[in-house]
Amino acid sequence: MSAAYGGADSPPSSWPQALQNPGFAGDTGEFPTLTEADVRGTAYVGERPRDGGHPGVAGTLAYQVAEKNPEAPLFEGPYAERVVKILERYPDSQAALLPVLHMAHEIRGHLSPGTMDEVAERLGLSPAYVRGVATFYSMYNLGPVGKYLIQVCTNISCNLCGGDAVLQAFLDATGTGMGETTPDGLYTVMEVECLGACGFPTAVQINERYFENVRPEDVPAILARLR
Amino acid sequence: MAYPYRHPSEVLVLAKYFGDPEARTLRGWEERGGYQALRKALGMAPADVVNEVKASGLRGRGGAGFPTGVKWSFMPPKGDKPHFLVCNADESEPGTFKDRELIRWTPHALLEGCLIGAYAIRAEHAYIYIRGEFFEAAQILAKAIEEAYAAGYAGQNILGSGVDIDITLHLGAGAYICGEETGLLNSLEGRRGEPRVKPPFPAIAGAFRLPTAVNNVESLIAAAHIVQNGAEWYRQWGTEKSTGTKLFCVSGHVKRPGNYELPLGFNFREFIYDVCGGTPGGRPVKAVIPGGSSVPILTGDELDIGMDYEAMAAAGTMLGCGSVIVMDDTTNLVKQVRRMVDFYAHESCGQCTPCREGTAWAARILRRIENGRGLEEDLQTLLEISDNMSGKTICVLSDAAAAPITSSIQKFRDDYLALMRREPALAARSA
Ligand SMILES: Cc1cc2nc3c(=O)[nH]c(=O)nc-3n(C[C@H](O)[C@H](O)[C@H](O)COP(=O)(O)O)c2cc1C
Ligand code: SF4
Ligand code: FES
Repeated sequence: MSAAYGGADSPPSSWPQALQNPGFAGDTGEFPTLTEADVRGTAYVGERPRDGGHPGVAGTLAYQVAEKNPEAPLFEGPYAERVVKILERYPDSQAALLPVLHMAHEIRGHLSPGTMDEVAERLGLSPAYVRGVATFYSMYNLGPVGKYLIQVCTNISCNLCGGDAVLQAFLDATGTGMGETTPDGLYTVMEVECLGACGFPTAVQINERYFENVRPEDVPAILARLR
Repeated sequence: MAYPYRHPSEVLVLAKYFGDPEARTLRGWEERGGYQALRKALGMAPADVVNEVKASGLRGRGGAGFPTGVKWSFMPPKGDKPHFLVCNADESEPGTFKDRELIRWTPHALLEGCLIGAYAIRAEHAYIYIRGEFFEAAQILAKAIEEAYAAGYAGQNILGSGVDIDITLHLGAGAYICGEETGLLNSLEGRRGEPRVKPPFPAIAGAFRLPTAVNNVESLIAAAHIVQNGAEWYRQWGTEKSTGTKLFCVSGHVKRPGNYELPLGFNFREFIYDVCGGTPGGRPVKAVIPGGSSVPILTGDELDIGMDYEAMAAAGTMLGCGSVIVMDDTTNLVKQVRRMVDFYAHESCGQCTPCREGTAWAARILRRIENGRGLEEDLQTLLEISDNMSGKTICVLSDAAAAPITSSIQKFRDDYLALMRREPALAARSA
């Protein structure tokens, strides 16, 4: 990597790094007064209720629970209410499948065969049907993953600006192989397809959060921030 | 203000409030004139709303460029059956990041667009299908939906008009193919996101096999502005057939990447060198993808064209969703083509043989060439595979995968040959 500009496979160092938004929420460019909260909208969104809030949005929480428990009950308390609200929004129970799988994922961290069977029973669908659908979508983890699921975009726009190097930096820093979980259960590092943040390369998704304009040298600070 | 950089050539209609956190709240949105378009629409007959959008010439911003008003006019007359509006917020085309910006800065603008669209096609329910990875944007939109319900802009008897429209936010779960409108509808119904054979088109048998219009986020927001200000106002920008303004998202080797809102027809060279500031090191532009990874690549010498649907088509490519990916002369183009084809191989739903087999096969050949083990006849094989992948499948993902292959072999054959000869200069550049 040359000092001025490393070319296709490294981040252009002439980018205005000073304007990088605190918290890696993306380059704020000509809006340097924007804070991380302004960009992410955290103050506006506030706390979301476990029961899902308004029925029109009840299917969209997906990451509300930080500590996953593969043994936790699926359809109790606020979650029972959330399923009822979700079902109300569709003409049939099959259409509630994706939102309810998201909810199960939120509670348990991944979709085990047993979890999929419970969802199938609750929605009156066949277990085989539910598995067929769940396996189609890449966001449903079918087995346990680390507490922090680190997904680095290496698609074209990020790749042109050093996505491969950022992926390698995460693998090196966590000392794990692609798609594997560290022995302490903290990190799983994976490659991911375009995250829709291509103007802020390299884009990295860690659990529910996007980290943008990530360079290899930023990786230690990001990992420290997670803890 | 486009985000995160601005330029004096911009015309700010959709992007006016990017970077303004106040604009995302209901109060802030109302103070900026929000929901006036909805009020106006509810005072018009639904057919007049459709006609106004038709007259504006607005074309769908999700990639295909089909006129929005015409699509709405295909909806059958309203009988007893429910109608649905489905907003496509699945944004996953590599290079595209405009809908996320629209949603996170101006969520109420999208709700207003959905409500107006639903009213125009006499739908009782609007579903917004947002990709699951956009969790932060989805939470902003969820909050806005709750505010809109509480203020009487959504739900029963909207603003006392007697019109009922519900809005439901639906999170995808990670699949590019769910951006294709019929794949999206299957996914919304709780199925695998496999595209459907058309016809029947969604207007006849869409969501839950009922009449449905699927519209992109940017199309719906533009439609709200058209209802508010009129078709003639919108036509002041753009060209005869590509009217209005459009968000262009720029990524790759440019000094100032981000979203810019420009009138359609804007000069492409000026866009890259002036608006985006050219390449970071001032190096020559080698290649540009003008409309997202699914469209044919242009060389750095083919930039003297307008950024509109017709001019791009005349240049042998497509405007797509306005996602400009710039590559300078240090780019290992074969590697980037391979990366795109890997993406399509990963995202193919597998229903059609040419797509399922073709994408994986082409990716393997490209990887071999990238690693310096290619043979010249591989290029012929790649062209034949691409030919078999085009125009023969249920959806156009297969055609999209072939576009970078054929266009790069036509225009950058030397890059392929250099790798085959293991030329040190190129080999050194490839990571
Ligand atoms: C493989 C594939 C992926 C697509 N992805 C998207 C997408 O992410 N967002 C989108 O709005 N349209 C996408 N489209 C286009 C949609 O099929 C559809 O044309 C569009 O949503 C219609 O809305 P519009 O008329 O407002 O553009 C995709 C099409 C294909 C073939
Ligand atoms: S072309 Fe590819 S993605 Fe589209 S339906 Fe066929 S197999 Fe699926
Ligand atoms: S290419 Fe990385 S976010 Fe789109």
